[in-house]
Amino acid sequence: MNRLLLILLAIALLLGLGAYWLSEPAVDEASIRTTTAVAEAMGSTDTTGYDRADRVIDFSFPDDHGPHPGFQTEWWYLTGNLDGDDGEHYGFKFTIFRSALTPPDSADAEHADPEDWRTNQFYMGHFGMSHIDRAWHLSTERFARGGAGLAGAQAEPFRVWLDDWQIASAEPIDQTPDATPDDSTFPLHLDVSDEEMAIDLTVTPRKPPVFQGDRGLSQKGPGSGNASYYYSYTRLDTEGQIMIEGDTVAVSGQSWMDREWSTSALAEDQEGWDWFSLQFDDGRELMYYQLRNDDGTPSTYSKGILVEEDGSSTLIEREDVELEVTDTWTSTIDNESEYPVAWRMRLPEYDLDFAVESYFPGQEMDVSVRYWEGAVRIDGTSGEAPLSGRGYVELTGYADGASAGPVS
Amino acid sequence: MSSLLSRSSAQYLRSHPWLMALSVLGIALGVAIVVAIDLANTSASDAFRLSTDTVTGEATHQVVGAGEGLDEGIYRTLRTEHRFRSIAPVIEGYATLEAADEARTFQLLGVDPFAEGPFRPYAGFGPDSDLELEPLLARSTVLIGAETARELGVEPGQSLTVSVEGVQHTVELMGVLEPDDERSRRAVENLIVTDIATAQRLFDARGQLSRIDAIIEDESTEDRLRAALPEGVHLQRSETRTDTVAQMTRAFDLNLTALSLLALVVGAFLIYNTMLFSVVQRRPLIGRLRALGVTRREIFRLVLSEAAVLGLAGTILGVLAGIVLAQGLVQIITRTITDLYFVVTVQQLSIAPWTLAKGAALGLGLTLVAALFPAREAANAPVSMVLQRSTSESDIQQRAPMLALSGAGLAGVGVAILALIGGSIAWSYVGLLLLILGITAATPLAVIGMAKAARPVMDAVAGVLGRMAARGVVSTLSRTGVAIAALTVAVAATIGVGIMIDSFRGTVETWLQQSLQADVYVQAPSPSFRRATATVAPALVASIRDTDGVDGVYTVRNVDVTADVGPTELIAITPGPQTPDTYELKSQEGAVWDAFASDDVVLVSEPYSNRYGVETGDTLTLQTDRGEQDFAVIAVYFDYASDMGSVLMSRTTYDRHYDDDRVSGVAVTAASGIDVDALIADLRAEASGVQDVLIQSNQALREASMDIFDQTFAVTNVLRLLAILVAFIGVLTALMALQLERNREFAVMRASGMTPSQVGGLVTMQTGLMGLFAGLLSLPLGYALAYVLIYVINLRSFGWTLQMDVSAGILLQAVLLAIAAALLAGLYPARKMATANPALALKEE
Repeated sequence: MNRLLLILLAIALLLGLGAYWLSEPAVDEASIRTTTAVAEAMGSTDTTGYDRADRVIDFSFPDDHGPHPGFQTEWWYLTGNLDGDDGEHYGFKFTIFRSALTPPDSADAEHADPEDWRTNQFYMGHFGMSHIDRAWHLSTERFARGGAGLAGAQAEPFRVWLDDWQIASAEPIDQTPDATPDDSTFPLHLDVSDEEMAIDLTVTPRKPPVFQGDRGLSQKGPGSGNASYYYSYTRLDTEGQIMIEGDTVAVSGQSWMDREWSTSALAEDQEGWDWFSLQFDDGRELMYYQLRNDDGTPSTYSKGILVEEDGSSTLIEREDVELEVTDTWTSTIDNESEYPVAWRMRLPEYDLDFAVESYFPGQEMDVSVRYWEGAVRIDGTSGEAPLSGRGYVELTGYADGASAGPVS
Repeated sequence: MSSLLSRSSAQYLRSHPWLMALSVLGIALGVAIVVAIDLANTSASDAFRLSTDTVTGEATHQVVGAGEGLDEGIYRTLRTEHRFRSIAPVIEGYATLEAADEARTFQLLGVDPFAEGPFRPYAGFGPDSDLELEPLLARSTVLIGAETARELGVEPGQSLTVSVEGVQHTVELMGVLEPDDERSRRAVENLIVTDIATAQRLFDARGQLSRIDAIIEDESTEDRLRAALPEGVHLQRSETRTDTVAQMTRAFDLNLTALSLLALVVGAFLIYNTMLFSVVQRRPLIGRLRALGVTRREIFRLVLSEAAVLGLAGTILGVLAGIVLAQGLVQIITRTITDLYFVVTVQQLSIAPWTLAKGAALGLGLTLVAALFPAREAANAPVSMVLQRSTSESDIQQRAPMLALSGAGLAGVGVAILALIGGSIAWSYVGLLLLILGITAATPLAVIGMAKAARPVMDAVAGVLGRMAARGVVSTLSRTGVAIAALTVAVAATIGVGIMIDSFRGTVETWLQQSLQADVYVQAPSPSFRRATATVAPALVASIRDTDGVDGVYTVRNVDVTADVGPTELIAITPGPQTPDTYELKSQEGAVWDAFASDDVVLVSEPYSNRYGVETGDTLTLQTDRGEQDFAVIAVYFDYASDMGSVLMSRTTYDRHYDDDRVSGVAVTAASGIDVDALIADLRAEASGVQDVLIQSNQALREASMDIFDQTFAVTNVLRLLAILVAFIGVLTALMALQLERNREFAVMRASGMTPSQVGGLVTMQTGLMGLFAGLLSLPLGYALAYVLIYVINLRSFGWTLQMDVSAGILLQAVLLAIAAALLAGLYPARKMATANPALALKEE
């Protein structure tokens, strides 16, 4: 009988164990994966129906500061080198990207209502900061739809925003800068913050905008339309304050602003670009981008512009520039991607010969499509005179599996 | 020695297989019912928690509006101006998808994938997500569980039809949610995830959100968020809402559990009966063992371990049977919960080990407790006495008055608990149990009395045999007493529950008659019958007004709001000339209906008044879109629609305090001379193509309501039947035991000249008498039970007053049921006893 009891107890125990096994712990939300399989109405490479940069246009301000939703891609881009009142040197990079998911004439886009959550406009923000002297680099990204007031762009009053990140006309709007007398958009106020870093800056152009390429039509590849509309403010006086890792510092310095919109600007065999925005201490600026073909050679569509102190500018062709990589750096994120981080740049026709070198190499943007965007120092000669300066360099298409640009 | 004891025990158990099997069955049934009810209840609440967890995700807090939903502008402001990052907008509701043969209800979750990451990663857009932007943002697409998609036969890229509040929409299946484990699989099987833009279109709620989820880790953020909210919008912890909703079914669950325990109690009677019988029958053996030097303690232990074996076997079987039974019960229970409280679907039973352990412990524990007295009886028998059989019988007859007296004491304590400890439902049941036990303890005395009274009658009807039958019930009282008691309790439960349901039904019927006075009712289809979550399309309301033959249109709006006393269902109605007649007031103050029309006053339902202690003359503070607002309570009205209670407000007052122009239902009166059926046809024509709404005459709505009512009590009725089944097994066991024990007695009768049919007749009469006694005894007990169920348990559980309505039919039925059960149970023993070979039986010793 004791044996019987024992057997029954054993059965009870087994049942208990079985029951325990049957019951499950709490839901782990991370254990639900989402897989999608749906044909996009328009592949991202299909440009049918979108507006194209296929002719020279007359830019009209302030309208063109606003969005061009018929183009697939557009960005508002700012970088700057700043000096803190603590004597330290800081850099920032802030970009808001806009993408159209469907062509402007498609049914979805037609009943677009800015209050609506349904939209074909997608916004992405990238924000990076460098504490040069400590070699700290922070980066972050955000996404939002261009609807329901959560993200968007408008020309008047000028405002481009994503959540609480914002570039907008500074208030009050009565202090129109001398450089842009007819454009009340400026000065701009940048208000961008994240847990670990923030910028709260007012930028005032010191020169009127320069139009890249052929009067602002910047051809990136063969064929009509494989181009972007592209203009830059190459030097903006910058004042305000920044926060990095909890320290708030008053800063002043120089920024650079790019505006560009396009539909499929890059050709298929272009794998990325090396883009330089350099501000020389003699009052001049140089922009130069070298598009890289997938065989490693520079594309003939590489171009640049040299801006004089008075704001006049000269187009720089691929043949004008000798660019040589003098140092490389391996990504600390994937320990694999190799980025150039120092160059020797020569423009013999303009008597320019200088080294461009990152202040520190670890300025890779740790975002979904990785690229390198960092503050650089310039050291060389202009003719006989010594030449120095600061700038920003953007390197795309180096990281494994990355596409040619942050948005493409 | 112990192996000798074990062997004798095993031998005994083996030699009475039927008896033991029935005892095991009795316990098994009792345990099965308890386990099944508990499993069904926990599965339902588990399913509810699971679905809430799935949609709550990692949110610690929620921002909610005063009424239904809140303006999406609040979210925009919080995000773009107040810089809150860990917040996410949510739209929540129900939708149905047409499966192969039935419409399945799904929880629909509308989210912003760009804010979702920290909350519900599967719906979040980010570097690792597989979500495609274009279909997500620019088209009406949904995500559903992978398995659900297979069941529905749809693949990503295909379109499917979603029905929301009676309006059909075509959406595209963008992708599927692939859960990695079982619980996640259950979490997503009834879930539709979609972008907010799509959700707003499906619910026709542009500009609106259901709530804003937030993850808040420190108090300063919480304060900052609270400060950023406009008037009427408030912040609450996520659990608050889940808990509130989960608690809605507490009384419902508790009452089911109590009923299930009743079956177990009847089962315990059975074990008591079996063990006592086994002890009585083995008196000679025990005497011999004692004479051999076996100690009392060993005898005591022997009996208890026998009971433990029976109990364990019964418990194991019971737990297994409970799991099977629960599969069926859970569907009935979830249907009821959905109709009465909140939407819940259980595709699969969740088996909680705790429930099984509880059921097992209860089964074993009760068995052992029930065996304590028989074990003591066996151990205490002095060696010299054990050879006498009848000690126990004369004993119990002597003790009957004392037993009855202590029973009276027990019942007194029970009544005292019922009367004095107000409020608690669990204590009410303890009181009720004591009352039952007390009355049961008086059974032997009552049986003696009734047998005495029955003797002359039986004599007149059946002569000597009749008299013998009546005396036989008493002379074997130690066994018959328990059987009668078990049957009494079971039948009394039937009577009590029966009267309660009848009274309830009658009360609800009268109430429906009174409150449904309009001619036609229009409702949007909701998953829940009584809780209207859907709204009637504004266009449809307008066209109803314009329909020829419509005299008056009275709208009703049900919303969940927060009052200072707790969560509240607010009902806003447009009062009409008939309104004063449709509400019966329990108490009132002043000219109720004049003030009601447009003053800041409310009426509260009786359950609400009882639940929150809000009386006429009190002030109720409600969260409104204009902030907190005081309303005078000017009356309490009778209402049986919801045990959560409700607060009634005029639409005019509602519109002043809430920004909500929606309508949950419309009551229509027909112009005089208009045929209601024709009007219904016209209204249906108006609705077709606009919204698939329910348009019913008051007659049809009343019938539908009564159907739901009956459905609600389906489980109760099942339990009632099961309790009777257990009691039936009890009677059967007791009578079989009796037969075995009285073999010799009957052999002597046969030997002294009684024919087999006379013996059979004697046994039949005896069991019939037992049934009759049990039936008669169950009448007062059943009435008491009904009284307590209606005026104590129901009032405390659900807060409503029912009109007690005792029909003679139920009482007669109960007595007949008892007699029939007893006769049926006596059938086999009667045959057996009649045909037993007297010589064999006499040879036994």
